[in-house]
Amino acid sequence: MNSNSRAESDRLKKRNWFIEILQRPEIGPFGVMLLLILALGFFSIPENANTWNLFEGEGLNALGIRNNLRIIAQLGIIALGAGLLIIAGEFDLSIGSMIGFAGMCMAITLKWGFHIVIPYISFTNGISVEKFVIASFNNVTPLAAVFITLCFTLFFGWLMGLIVVKTGLASFIVSLSFLFFLRGLTEVCYRAFNKAPDQTAGSTQVSDLPDFKNIVNLPEYGEIGRVAAKRLDPEILLRYYEKLSPDQIAAFSQKLSMAFERVAAKKTEILMNKNISNIEREINNAKEAGNTDLVTTLQSRLLDAQNMAPVVPKDVTNLDIVKAWIDTLPSERPAADFFGGNVLEGMFEWLYQIGWNVNNYGNKFAPGLYNAVFLWILIAIVAWIVLSKTQAGNWIYSTGGNLNAAKANGVPTGKVKISLFMFSAFCATMFAATQVFETNTADAAKGVLKELEAIAAAVIGGVVLTGGFGTVLGIMFGSIIFGIASVAFFYIPYVDGSFYRIFLGAVLLIAALTNENIRKRITGGI
Amino acid sequence: MSNLDPLVKIENLKKNFGNFTALNGVSLEVFPGEVHALLGDNGAGKSTLIKILSGVYQPTSGKIFVEGSEVKFSSPRDASNVGIGTVYQDLALNALTSMTRNFFLGREQIIGPPPFGILKSKEMNKIAVEEMKKIGIFISDPEQAVGTMSGGQRQTLAIARAIYFGAKVLILDEPTSALGQKQQMEVLKTILKVRDLGNIAIILITHNEIHARLVADRFTFLSLGEVIGTGTPDDLKDSDIKRLMAGGAEIGDLAAELKR
Repeated sequence: MNSNSRAESDRLKKRNWFIEILQRPEIGPFGVMLLLILALGFFSIPENANTWNLFEGEGLNALGIRNNLRIIAQLGIIALGAGLLIIAGEFDLSIGSMIGFAGMCMAITLKWGFHIVIPYISFTNGISVEKFVIASFNNVTPLAAVFITLCFTLFFGWLMGLIVVKTGLASFIVSLSFLFFLRGLTEVCYRAFNKAPDQTAGSTQVSDLPDFKNIVNLPEYGEIGRVAAKRLDPEILLRYYEKLSPDQIAAFSQKLSMAFERVAAKKTEILMNKNISNIEREINNAKEAGNTDLVTTLQSRLLDAQNMAPVVPKDVTNLDIVKAWIDTLPSERPAADFFGGNVLEGMFEWLYQIGWNVNNYGNKFAPGLYNAVFLWILIAIVAWIVLSKTQAGNWIYSTGGNLNAAKANGVPTGKVKISLFMFSAFCATMFAATQVFETNTADAAKGVLKELEAIAAAVIGGVVLTGGFGTVLGIMFGSIIFGIASVAFFYIPYVDGSFYRIFLGAVLLIAALTNENIRKRITGGI
Repeated sequence: MSNLDPLVKIENLKKNFGNFTALNGVSLEVFPGEVHALLGDNGAGKSTLIKILSGVYQPTSGKIFVEGSEVKFSSPRDASNVGIGTVYQDLALNALTSMTRNFFLGREQIIGPPPFGILKSKEMNKIAVEEMKKIGIFISDPEQAVGTMSGGQRQTLAIARAIYFGAKVLILDEPTSALGQKQQMEVLKTILKVRDLGNIAIILITHNEIHARLVADRFTFLSLGEVIGTGTPDDLKDSDIKRLMAGGAEIGDLAAELKR
């Protein structure tokens, strides 16, 4: 080649790593996310607390992180489903209704069992609808309930995808019809199946499920809830004390005595501060009144208060040790624990020991993160590998980027779209599972508007609505931005909480404009 | 070159759409290492002919031979399996992803079971750059989005891709339309490079007789579904080409008509 065409053929400048990072599409969302996290930490520091440590603020202390990450993770799960589908050029507006449906399906199978029946019209006593029972499962485990629910939701996802692919209708309208259809189906199912024999119509919520994730197996006693186990007769509990090994007892008592000391120290501190401030106020009053005698007596009382004897820590009893041991028993319903339990409990215990994860009374603040966070990261890692590292990922990008090109090159675009509709339904089911097993309740109104939040999070994270452009990392950042923004304003006492919608609206618009500009820069304005 | 056997031979190809005759007995021979320009006005039947060749349409009657044996295509995949690669005007590229991802779109090299096999990015990058280089364009960053490439580079990418995946017959549908002057020349150079590879037959569909004259070894003129002229550049005078391009009508008559 001569130099002339060399110059024509390669006009991109070489980039170094710094520029490369700055040019990544996720950089915008990443910056906004960092800013929001800092703002959340800063503005949530209590007014009288004299500190600049952001992790002392209510938004970023242990409990704040636990609660905020739960909201972020749950949104993040459905945003991944919605985001990948948008990258492939389609929409799913049924996510919210799918969440409601999945929650209903799970809760009702857990409560009433799962029965496969064939209804038929009987004429024996007038006309009535009878049912022929093929199979009946009464005690459905959490794992089976999730599995049964997935069968339904994945089927609906598949159906939606099939209709979109085969008819060529816009997915907007197909999924909108599923939004109504599934919400209606959820309510109808609640009324039809969730009723005691004396009720004519069922309630649209299930609120009396057992706390599956905390069912433990107490040796020689059987399965029992953790709380109920701790409330057993002390005589029964003390029998378990005999069975613990000396090492276990030593470890538990060391842990407990440390916790009790911490509680006692906090009590001392609170008591002392209270006394001191009371006496100081009295001194001021006395000074104003000119009562010098009283001032001197009060000042000596102030000295006493400052040197008050510390509160004596509670002794660690054998019963305390047994209760601590019950807390460490593994769940007998690992599936429920996986969706509704906690993760990183060891780390939060360590954080308690080093003195950060401590509430105002000296107790452990947060037991760990919600497992939804773990599930979110897990799904995100799988989605990231699939989208950016595999053949399927290239197919997803090309299906959304240029459908005809993908078809012409032999990409099974129909299958790609149907699979992603199913993935979206899967994510909605995971969302529902975390809700059901965390709170042990379900409700026909669960998940309302979640589809729009998921789409908004994906767009804030850099996904272009016309398809073909976006990354998993970006969607994750978008979920964090959306999640933080939706809770942050509630930590700032002097600002109306509803400002978050105003803020999110602006962010969404700016994000959409930015994404469009990036897309134009890459396609050369097509 | 004519002492070689033709790579593609079309005999008396006819295609009717209902009672409309799109092609009325077209015969054509294309040899390896030769650029065969297919010229004609709008509606002459060029598009129908290449769609039959690339398996999109099935002919009403007539025969197609590839390397001497008769073939029948029921889908575009059949055509590409026997080595007919078509580069359409829209190039079938996804502007938002990288050059390599486009080069291997639908035929990615992977480790593991499809479709969840991991892409062999390094190997694919290397192959893509090498294949582009073979037909004359050097791209230093195969990760760059296709949208950032010039029109000529995109055309080259589509051609290189077709060749790499086994095209012996390359059908180029109006490759120079919608390009700037300089990029048109770039594409023509690419076409000559491909011809110089020696084993590939090129069918070049174009409106532009100047471009055809620059690169073509043989011309076939279509009008109203029939071949109205064929020959090498030496056989044909400029005036012949002009006359044939206008569908056989005497351009002089037209000029006279316009003056009136």
